[in-house]
Amino acid sequence: MKTTIVSWLVLAPLLAFCLFPFAVMFMSALKPQTELYDPRWIPSRLAWGNFIEMWQATNFGVALGNSLYISTVSTALTILCAIPAAYALSRMRFHGKQAFRGFLLVSQMLSPIVLILGLFRLLVLAGALDSKLAVAMINTGFNMAFAVWMLESYFSTIPRDLEEAAWMEGASSTLSLRRVFLPLAIPALVVTALFTFVNTWNEFVIALTSLRSAENYTLPIQILSLVSGRYSIEWHYVMAATFVATLPVAIVFAWLQRYLVTGLTSGAVK
Amino acid sequence: MAQKRNTAVPYGLVLPGFLFSAAIILWPLFQLGSLSFGDVNRFGQVLGFGGLKNYSAVFVDPELYASLWRTVIWTVSIVAGTFIIAMPTSIILHRDFYGRNIARVIIMLPWAISLAMLAITARLALNGESGMLNSALIFAGIIDENVAWLASYRTAFPMQIIVGILATIPFTTTIFLGGLSSIPQDLYEAAKMEGANGWQRFRRITLPMMRPFVNIAVVLNTIYVFNSFPIIWVTTQGGPVNTTDILVTYLYKSAFRFGKVGEAAVLSLIMFAILLIFSLIYVRLAMKNERGAQ
Repeated sequence: MKTTIVSWLVLAPLLAFCLFPFAVMFMSALKPQTELYDPRWIPSRLAWGNFIEMWQATNFGVALGNSLYISTVSTALTILCAIPAAYALSRMRFHGKQAFRGFLLVSQMLSPIVLILGLFRLLVLAGALDSKLAVAMINTGFNMAFAVWMLESYFSTIPRDLEEAAWMEGASSTLSLRRVFLPLAIPALVVTALFTFVNTWNEFVIALTSLRSAENYTLPIQILSLVSGRYSIEWHYVMAATFVATLPVAIVFAWLQRYLVTGLTSGAVK
Repeated sequence: MAQKRNTAVPYGLVLPGFLFSAAIILWPLFQLGSLSFGDVNRFGQVLGFGGLKNYSAVFVDPELYASLWRTVIWTVSIVAGTFIIAMPTSIILHRDFYGRNIARVIIMLPWAISLAMLAITARLALNGESGMLNSALIFAGIIDENVAWLASYRTAFPMQIIVGILATIPFTTTIFLGGLSSIPQDLYEAAKMEGANGWQRFRRITLPMMRPFVNIAVVLNTIYVFNSFPIIWVTTQGGPVNTTDILVTYLYKSAFRFGKVGEAAVLSLIMFAILLIFSLIYVRLAMKNERGAQ
């Protein structure tokens, strides 16, 4: 009992700090148009309709579709390429294995911003500027290291005997992979896929630089375009959009919280 | 025959992932290298060989040193500030108390907001006349009149650092919690039997056992924060008058606003070199951990 009270009291300022942006989003989203520039926290009435009007006013549906498309394509490509690579790293010996690990490590350290000028030129050259598919593919490259890493550390915990037993029974190696290995790896695949998805969902620099026309904007870029270089900003719609775009990710994180602790540390420290 | 097949298989498995990463890293790097030695016009066309022209232009620009210095302040304050908050927080969250899972979830929540959207929210909250931070602080009696937080370097930069700390706490706390749960409980029990008090147990058991996790969190945070672009870009775009520029925003402006493409390529390569050094530190630490674990 004493521990509970002390813990909550000590954590209170940090908890308030962490909830502060959500409070700002939520309370601003509920402000009626006339009170936009009124700094009070509690509006005179709660304008729930903002959440519906926002959909039209911010062109939310289109941006949501773009974000979903880019994140889904990138997640699928990442996972499809990361599974075989992680399997090879955890189960096979080959020349250049350490070099490949080193390469992955360096690619993990680089953020898109450092290479953005070169990436931009790559897109111009390929005629792929303003292409959602190209954005998804660039994201895939940057997500690869983390996904391979994460999967490898899980794969290494799956006992070899299980596969060997399947081989003894006469199963081919692809069959044992499909029937024995991958089903065991499903939790790891789900966590890695969700992580990749959220990473791409929140990605900023690549989308900002390569997406040119408004109908291709992802959510962060669309919302930024509503606040930059405008004389009057419709903050109630902007905050409603931000809140709706963040909520699903917050729910995923709340649910994954346990896996994050074990997954990230085994990936990071190994 | 079988022998031959076996040796090719791992390469085939690794290849698709390698190609993706290589395409987005090696090719742009090569581009940056050739741009940095080129005579490049403001539209990014290479007109000829420029020698070290771009390099000398970057190194005489006082803005480079100003933003480099600000990058150091930015990175050190966020990494250190996060550590100071995350360490005690994770120790509390590791102990059992009523509602612990709710507290854990709340502390993870800022992770869910994309940095760009967090920065947009900060722009609203920090606004001079209609900002909700001002009204909260006036209500609490901390300030008497509105402060236009983002209008001056002296308040804008610290506020950006605070937003950066908020964004870094969840990841760091997660790593620390993983570290704490890896410490065998019987170590503490043995120490208790020997009569060690709470502080002694922290100094002699928790801290040394947490070393590898602290190292990794510090190096990874340093890299992430050093690379972090959206918070400053969205709140001030490096303004007012370049006073909140760090290397990444200075690089982005040079490349896409001022049309100094050749100089931007040099800046990218400087950042790449710095990151390579960080990676080497990381590898050394990770190898040490592995050896320690065996």
